[in-house]
Amino acid sequence: MIVAAAADAGLSWNLVRDVRQMFAYPFMVNAFRAGTVVAVTAGATGWFMVLRRQTFAGHTLAVAGFPGAAGAVWLGLGATYGYFAFCLAAAFLIAAIPTAGGAAAGRAAESATVGTVQAFALACGFLFVNLYKGFLGGVNALLFGSFLGITDGMVLTLTAVAVAILAVLALFGRPLLFASLDPAVATAAGVPVRALSVAFLILLGSTAAEVSQITGTLLVFTLLVIPAATAQILTTRPALSLALTVLFGLLVTWAGLTVAYYSPYPIGFFITSFSFSLYLLARLAVHAHDLLDRTARTPHPARASA
Amino acid sequence: MDRGSGRLTSGEIVVDGARLVVVGRWRVRRGLGAVAAGVVMLVAACGTSSSGDSGSADGGSGKIAVVATENFWGSIAAQLGGDRVAVTSIIDNPDADPHDYEPTSADGRAIAGARLVIDNGVGYDPWAGRLAAANPAEGRTMLTVGELVGAKDGDNPHRWYNPADVTSVIDAITADYKKIDPADAAYFDRQRASFTTTTLKPYTDLIASIKKTYGGTPVGASESIFEMLSPALGLDLLTPPAFLRAITEGTDPTVADKTTIDDQISTEKIKVYVYNSQNATPDVQRQVEEAKAAGIPVITITETLTPAGASFQDWQVAQLTGLRTALAQATGK
Repeated sequence: MIVAAAADAGLSWNLVRDVRQMFAYPFMVNAFRAGTVVAVTAGATGWFMVLRRQTFAGHTLAVAGFPGAAGAVWLGLGATYGYFAFCLAAAFLIAAIPTAGGAAAGRAAESATVGTVQAFALACGFLFVNLYKGFLGGVNALLFGSFLGITDGMVLTLTAVAVAILAVLALFGRPLLFASLDPAVATAAGVPVRALSVAFLILLGSTAAEVSQITGTLLVFTLLVIPAATAQILTTRPALSLALTVLFGLLVTWAGLTVAYYSPYPIGFFITSFSFSLYLLARLAVHAHDLLDRTARTPHPARASA
Repeated sequence: MDRGSGRLTSGEIVVDGARLVVVGRWRVRRGLGAVAAGVVMLVAACGTSSSGDSGSADGGSGKIAVVATENFWGSIAAQLGGDRVAVTSIIDNPDADPHDYEPTSADGRAIAGARLVIDNGVGYDPWAGRLAAANPAEGRTMLTVGELVGAKDGDNPHRWYNPADVTSVIDAITADYKKIDPADAAYFDRQRASFTTTTLKPYTDLIASIKKTYGGTPVGASESIFEMLSPALGLDLLTPPAFLRAITEGTDPTVADKTTIDDQISTEKIKVYVYNSQNATPDVQRQVEEAKAAGIPVITITETLTPAGASFQDWQVAQLTGLRTALAQATGK
């Protein structure tokens, strides 16, 4: 049966049949499970990251996963553990930056340190790839993602970490939102801004490690930034934009997996293109909306000067 | 962007505004809670749909589905299995470097449906093991050449260039066929006998004749693939092993090794230069030019079957014939 299915793995355009055929393969079932878990986690954490303007830190944490994975493969451990170890280590490193001297000074120091950590992480990754005796097949997969070869054990690990991340976010979501929007007022109101910021970096590190395993370290933003950025263009209401973020993440992941299954090209490209298209559409829609709004009230001088 | 201004309601975000942000506590809580519940439900839903029609992989044709990660092993497996097997080879492009191969979803499907998977191992095709692990199937046999011949990760992976290892693999494939399809055991024994004594005869004869006539001749090579063949041919491979390995693994060769090789070429210490066109770097290209300029015959060999549809023995025989001609030209024997 499987052989028969493998023989005609082409698209029949009969949706039910195609989907059933795709799910006949355990590797595709695992890819969808892992993709779903990762998309939801990335959506929730990414939404806060975009709000907190820590996109650069998020990128660095993801890049730190590359030496982790390469090093773990070199040492004969699973790449999964390498991703988590290095992403978390980088999160602690970045969190250790003192923010004394005001928020602006802290932010400047943070972005410089984040850049330093990123350069060092990439250099280590390059070294590990070279140290590995033999051929580190799949350097491209580490950098740009792969959905083939996800085992039940990996799905379990990803799910456990995702549940932990989401539980923490659910617990600290409200103070974190407050601290993200206006740290000064939040501090005055007794919110532990500094502790929350450290905790969030750790969440971000774990999320980056999760996402890296599907999209690769360089395309983590596909799920971490683009869905959140798209949703935050469309609405300013927190709950709605958070829900939209997760929805967009799921849509592009599922679409990307399905298209990648039927094509010989890598998944990273498809997921990224889909989320990029969504982002463009959102921008266009908002722009069109604004234009309509403006033409509707052209004679209003107050509106024109705003 | 002036969206949002003038229609602020409870629960909206004002990032830089002077107004104190009013955040609907319940909204965020409820949003995150819904997200968490959603994940659990989705994963559970995926879990129930996974067990399905992944049963016997015999197919309708009754042939044993065999997947070989590289076409040299695939060619041997197909000839040993005759009309009782259907062999799919994953890496078969003579223009690409197999060391850098990235699997596709079609490869995942092929491995998922195979009764026998032949992979090279020794770090040459690590993705094959991962694809098999992601598709657990009862009754699938994995034949990893590296394990069979006792090669560890970091050893020379090009086992199909070692005639003794080729023989071990032939025996192992036949044994696996007999285990999977015991009713046809006699057929598989006949196939093996005719393959080794008749089909491979030109190959084994050429190796023996080169060893007899040109044994001890000093030669150079561009990559570790030839390191597997030169002992069987009795040739004296002078290229530093570290250089051969560096080219294989895609790392930088040392300056000392490059100087040694330049010297071997310019003083014509080596009689023939063996060039692997499927794994070449600028360093190697330069050596090929130098060898040609010094009047040293250069012969080209490849990692995988060339042309793509050739059989293992035709490909090897063509390369060995080229080598014998070059040796004759260089030594005058």
